[in-house]
Amino acid sequence: MIRTDNDMDAAIDWLVRLQSPSVTQDDWAEFDAWLSSSAEHAKVYDRVLAFDQEFGLLAGPDAHDRLADAPQTGAILAFKRRRRTGLWWSAGALAAAFVAGAILLPRYGPGATQETVYVTGVGERKSIALEDGTRIDLNAASRIAVRFRHGERHVSMGDAQAYFDVAKDARRPFVIDAGETQVRVVGTAFDVRHRDGAVAVAVQRGLVEVRPNQDRQAETFRLTPGQALSHVEGRTDARVVKVSSDEILGWREGRLIYRDQPLSVIAADMNRLFDRPTKLGDAQAANLRLSGVLIVDRQDAMVARLSVLLPVRTTTTAKAVTIWAR
Amino acid sequence: MRLYGEKRANLTRFFAARLRSTAEAEDLVQDLYLKLQALGDIETRDDGSGLLFHMANNLMLDHLRSQARSSARDARWFDAKTTAIAGAPIADEPSAEDVVNGRQRLAALMRTLGTLPPKTAQAFSLHKLEGLSHAETAAAMGISRSAVEKHISTALKALMVSSR
Repeated sequence: MIRTDNDMDAAIDWLVRLQSPSVTQDDWAEFDAWLSSSAEHAKVYDRVLAFDQEFGLLAGPDAHDRLADAPQTGAILAFKRRRRTGLWWSAGALAAAFVAGAILLPRYGPGATQETVYVTGVGERKSIALEDGTRIDLNAASRIAVRFRHGERHVSMGDAQAYFDVAKDARRPFVIDAGETQVRVVGTAFDVRHRDGAVAVAVQRGLVEVRPNQDRQAETFRLTPGQALSHVEGRTDARVVKVSSDEILGWREGRLIYRDQPLSVIAADMNRLFDRPTKLGDAQAANLRLSGVLIVDRQDAMVARLSVLLPVRTTTTAKAVTIWAR
Repeated sequence: MRLYGEKRANLTRFFAARLRSTAEAEDLVQDLYLKLQALGDIETRDDGSGLLFHMANNLMLDHLRSQARSSARDARWFDAKTTAIAGAPIADEPSAEDVVNGRQRLAALMRTLGTLPPKTAQAFSLHKLEGLSHAETAAAMGISRSAVEKHISTALKALMVSSR
């Protein structure tokens, strides 16, 4: 593949040129034109970039000592003759560097990290402080799994709602998988709700990237503060609306805020707050929709207020609260 | 904004070279988006590509200036053999497979590096592994900066071919 080798040489020349401190706007224009002239160029360049970054992770003024002293490299220290005396690295130090590279780059194989699972029960809320400074407020009846790797902070959301205040770390993006939806940020504050076959993301601060359906390569959305995205699982689209800061804070301050939501959703939320089930008496009730605020306090008080907001009546027994259409 | 969408991928590639991290370049280009959004609609003389470049370049220079801080943090990363998530310690150790892969790659690269002219290998090592800049490498070896860049290109080409 002689043609590819030429492309490769060109890509490497570009990399070296762009790494010199004196790049100009003309370099950018030419580089952009070169990439745009063939799809192959971008592919080859990306490979060169990835190759170069393996060295980049090992670089640094004390790289030699740091890598050679890492205990994981002990097995191959036999290569190492003695400490570096001149500018040239000994073969051993280089050997140590590459094995340490394998240690520090989980992408060489499956990452050897553990997962921490957080669960809340009905009516329970939890505030979680992660080691990187990120705070997660977990709503009732929720389950999330947290896993940190060197290059990524990852949260997997089951049936859950959580508010994330993510500590900024450009080297480790914060990625949340909620079913088929992926949310990706660097440092920002936002709420993710993954319940009943739907995902909703509301942003309070920073920029949040959401791929509503990553399996089907749906469009990526970039949300800014005050925007909220909702997505129904199985579809490839999503809806973005404006929300107020109060709305995002909502559940953490004991308020449930609804915009045109069916009573079935409200009943499901109440079932995450109270042990005694809230049931819907008839199909007509299930289809009623609410826009408004419901203060979270006692269950009977909440259903009483519901019957003011909607044309419903409730019957309460020791075993269940049932809501009927009026 | 439309232009940003078109150029986003190439801008990331451009700045990933110097930052030596695609993740950081992505972050930078994301910051650029915020800056552009704050600006709103603007008139430019050319197609706006030059403005994008200057804004992104300034962001990168800011970033490089603040790297003293982040490299201290990286050192802590390297030092920490374990990390902890909410109190639970996590060992960040390689699997046996990773070590074997690492060694095999190393053996191949070492062979190739050994076949290169000594100056080429030295320039490559100083820049890529010791982290010296082009200018520092040039000074250490007593050659010009463009000669350093040629050596590095040559070494990278040979190493990439052999790693296939």
